Amino acid sequence: MTEQTKSDPPINHAPSSSFAKEIEQEPGGEGIMQCIQCGMCTASCMVASMTERYRPRKLIQKILLGKREEVLNSELPWLCMTCRLCEERCQEDVDLSEIFTAVREIAAREGHIPHVFQNTIDKVLEDGWLLNDAYTDFEEDDRSDLGLDPDLGWNNKFVKKLKKKYFKEGGKK
Amino acid sequence: MKEFVLYTGCTTPVRLPAYERAVEVVLEKFGIHLSTMKDANCCGAQYIESVNRVAFAAMSGRILAIAESMDMDILAICGACSGSLKHVKHDLDHNEELRDEVNTILEEEGLKYTGTVDVKHLLQIFREDIGYDAIKTAVVNPYKDIRLAAHYGCHVTRPEEIVQVDDAENPTIIDRIIEVAGGTAVDYTGKTRCCGGPLLAMDEEVGNAIGRDKIENIRKENVDGIVTACVFCDIQLTQVQFGPEAGDKPKIPVITLPQFLGPALGIDFESLGIYLNKINPAPVLEAH
Repeated sequence: MTEQTKSDPPINHAPSSSFAKEIEQEPGGEGIMQCIQCGMCTASCMVASMTERYRPRKLIQKILLGKREEVLNSELPWLCMTCRLCEERCQEDVDLSEIFTAVREIAAREGHIPHVFQNTIDKVLEDGWLLNDAYTDFEEDDRSDLGLDPDLGWNNKFVKKLKKKYFKEGGKK
Repeated sequence: MKEFVLYTGCTTPVRLPAYERAVEVVLEKFGIHLSTMKDANCCGAQYIESVNRVAFAAMSGRILAIAESMDMDILAICGACSGSLKHVKHDLDHNEELRDEVNTILEEEGLKYTGTVDVKHLLQIFREDIGYDAIKTAVVNPYKDIRLAAHYGCHVTRPEEIVQVDDAENPTIIDRIIEVAGGTAVDYTGKTRCCGGPLLAMDEEVGNAIGRDKIENIRKENVDGIVTACVFCDIQLTQVQFGPEAGDKPKIPVITLPQFLGPALGIDFESLGIYLNKINPAPVLEAH
């Protein structure tokens, strides 16, 4: 989407951008067109209450208006905690966390994954679980003392299979 | 005797093993035995979930399929795991194409998802499988004069139509258990708000500010302790009370639900791993 000049026709604020339609086709993104931009989501959002960087209503608006590259290149879709407090309150049943997950998936396919996410994804797809590096003798002893099995027995073969099948290229960012 | 297979998730066994042990010990008291799931994998929450929906469904789907091979319903004690497994179960039950794709991958190791097992969060076990009356009967050492704030955890209760654990806007299970055990359950501003934990990867400062805001809202109600039902929430609400940002305000003990209930049932502190808690909850748990 380019900057509008005076000779351009007025922006159509109806939710009809090709990006909005693309999101609507993505699993989880189905409800995007139901948004009436009332702002209940931003009013409910704890992230928005603590930082000016993130406003869920504005992020939905950017999608509706078709700012595809801006949205896919930004950190905004990754700042949603997926706590779903906004969804509980949305009168139009817009599932924002599902929509932002759909946006993340498109961003990921095009190589835009934040480093912290990529690092953890790489770990999980290697070890089969999140905390392989954090599990030391110290924690093993705590488990033994509690009468719990120190052998956690995680499987890492399955994730390697998934990595081969679904994550051939990995993130570019 | 009822039996469930416990899916511990990645975090509890390493960061909060006392929670895992307390769950086992307390449920055993009510005649519920837990089997362990071996050879499992991460449920895929947040990270794989964000980037590849099919891989996410395969990861949680494999856990569901292992439980099917054991012919047991799953008990999840982490909000993220409970949410993932319930979501993926819902997707696999309603999307044949996705189920077929997941089953094609699972088939290679002799596993299959058909949808016969249920996923329950710990709170459901207390309400549905044990019941408040049975808990009340089992309380031999009721608490006296203690005020407690319940923190439910976003992924434990939302979205209500899929997870079906409690009323998402006005959850009551932890509060009821606090009362049944003799404590006073206290409401506070922002009870159903997030602990901030899911934001730590992207923005630690803001995630911790959210957690501290919750603690300060709870502090205003003059409570003696916070009772949790998710490993991430428990760790987050504990750690935000440490460090320079937290100042030198008194720390409010954060206690997992089975660790809170255990002493009222006559279970000793050692069996519940109370000694591992970062903020000593003994003053709360000794108030009988």
